[in-house]
Amino acid sequence: MATAEILSKARDQKRTVLTEIEAKQILGEAGIPCTKTVLAATREEAVSISEGIGYPVVLKVSSVDISHKSDAGGVKVNLADRAAVETAYEEIMASCRVYAPDADIEGVSVQGMAAKGTEIIMGMIRDASFGPVVMFGLGGILVEVLKDVSFRIVPIEKADAIAMTGEIQGRKLLEGYRGQDPADIARLQDMLVKLSDFVDRTPGIEEIDMNPVFAYRDGAVVVDARIILSP
Amino acid sequence: MMELFFNPKSVAVIGASGTPGKLGYVIVKNIADSDFAGDLYPVNPKSDEILGYRVYRSVSEIPGEVDLVVTALPTPKLTVATMQECAAKGVKAVIIESAGFAEMGGDGTLYQKQLVDIAAAHGIRVMGPNCSGIVSRNIVTSIYPMTKKVPDGNVVLIGQSGLLAAGMASDIVENESLSVSKVCSIGNKCDVNENDLLEYFGNDPKVDVISMYLETISDGRNLTRIAKRVAAQKPVIFLSGGRTEAGAKAAMSHTGSIASNAKIVEAAVRQTGMIMADDFTELKDFAKVFSTQPLPRGNRIAVITLAGSVGVNVSDLCAAHGLELPKLTPETTDQLKDLFDTPVGNPVDLYFSVTKIGFTKTLQTTFPDAFRDPNIDAAVLILAGFEYTQEAVQKKIIQQIVKDVGKPVVVCMIVGYNRYKHVILDELGKDLPVFPSLISGVKALSKLCEYGSRRYKASA
Repeated sequence: MATAEILSKARDQKRTVLTEIEAKQILGEAGIPCTKTVLAATREEAVSISEGIGYPVVLKVSSVDISHKSDAGGVKVNLADRAAVETAYEEIMASCRVYAPDADIEGVSVQGMAAKGTEIIMGMIRDASFGPVVMFGLGGILVEVLKDVSFRIVPIEKADAIAMTGEIQGRKLLEGYRGQDPADIARLQDMLVKLSDFVDRTPGIEEIDMNPVFAYRDGAVVVDARIILSP
Repeated sequence: MMELFFNPKSVAVIGASGTPGKLGYVIVKNIADSDFAGDLYPVNPKSDEILGYRVYRSVSEIPGEVDLVVTALPTPKLTVATMQECAAKGVKAVIIESAGFAEMGGDGTLYQKQLVDIAAAHGIRVMGPNCSGIVSRNIVTSIYPMTKKVPDGNVVLIGQSGLLAAGMASDIVENESLSVSKVCSIGNKCDVNENDLLEYFGNDPKVDVISMYLETISDGRNLTRIAKRVAAQKPVIFLSGGRTEAGAKAAMSHTGSIASNAKIVEAAVRQTGMIMADDFTELKDFAKVFSTQPLPRGNRIAVITLAGSVGVNVSDLCAAHGLELPKLTPETTDQLKDLFDTPVGNPVDLYFSVTKIGFTKTLQTTFPDAFRDPNIDAAVLILAGFEYTQEAVQKKIIQQIVKDVGKPVVVCMIVGYNRYKHVILDELGKDLPVFPSLISGVKALSKLCEYGSRRYKASA
């Protein structure tokens, strides 16, 4: 039961922010597909894990003290071979040490490079009166500018998830627009129900971001995830 | 427990007064004038008799059990002391009408906390403080003088603000515009909240429609759970204050930065199947439509009008509110062809028919034929204020047709308000939902169709 262990470890360390690796492990255990993400503590480990996952890969700094990984120069994508991974590892470490000299850096997370799909955001927040609430929307610019998202109060049923995906203004984009592949809407709905089930049975979760989720014709995968625990 | 509030066998009014106009007088008079047939005990240390009732110095002096205590005392401190007396007496239900509690902040919050603590320690249910309690046939605890008896209707209203709920109740009862059975004001909701009432009225087979206004939501998670169950059985019309974007809290996640109070409340309304009202008039208007009209199976509307231009406007409004105006079946158009120079369409323009056979005859033929058409789920009937409209209303011709056809209708009035407002809006308005504007009628009908379609799909 990795989830319980991760949560109690974070509590022991008085942390409310989980690392991306922890967040994906928890979501994965909840039945929500995430890109394979493995911690590498050294450059050599980064290479061997990359070879295990298969190129191209993404390297992201893994530190509970660095939440804005891109700003810290802690993200390198589309690394196609061993040499690229080695260089990226060194660059990430150097940049992050400058960005946050006191940060406790446990290494980098090595992730498979997910093929680009329809960009989705899913998440959860805890409302003072309604308790946990889940969110669904189109990711990227659409969520930033138009806030084209739908919410439901936890626990949700399949019918609620269907309403959530059908309610957003940009739902046509999910159905495949101008030659773009349609998104696997049924899978997205299933992920929403699993997200709701997870937060309903797991106390102490304050906020979750799954942003972006890439949705494909067949299936969908969480590319980046963030979990905040209640104080 | 809620029964003690709505059907008490004995009631004590603390802070009762013998001076007409004072709140403590109005409450006693309202209870006396209601159908309440149990023991009424006014309590006031300085009076002997109020409205013919013997007055007691304190709650503890009252002989026998007291089911319900209503307090209207000048200070929070006195109210807290009275709560203690109620606890000692074994009272289990208290309505606290006085203000000066959590809504004031500071000491008021502390006084309210004391009320809650006493209630919790002694198993007392408290409605209020800062409320006007209940307006019903069986008991009226509000501070608005009631001029007529509350109808034994099928609608309940739940509100927070005491003055607003009491004022709305008084208006509705006075002009007989809505068949209410109970209006409740729950004020600061220190104990009894909307969820208690929603559950209680949800289980009451005599309640067909629940209309609810909330400034704050006590327990949204439970509200969602209860409202979902209740709204599947009877319409729950919901108006929520404080629906602001500013409600979004400082959040660490992207999701948290987008979520706002308004969006979450709207999501809850959709999720539960409640019907969102946007103002107080709609709370009543929607309740009127839902409580008097059968549920349609769909959203296909016949618009019946005397003027083509009005029909165009209504068609646009229907489209904007998700209502369809289908063609009538050939059988219906064929049946009506002799009354019209051109084939009858939808909107059904009665003008030609009226010129041939007169208004009343037209109403009796064209209206029911179009209304009965199998392509039609509901109708918007537009009435202009003319002498012949008055006649049709007074002879109850419209009411009879609607009853015979058995489908839902809303009536919208255009022109002629000066002379015929009373007969169309008020008199016809007692039997049918009549609206002073096209948009208000169309919107109300769209809510009925939305709910009706959902219920029909759920049952199919």
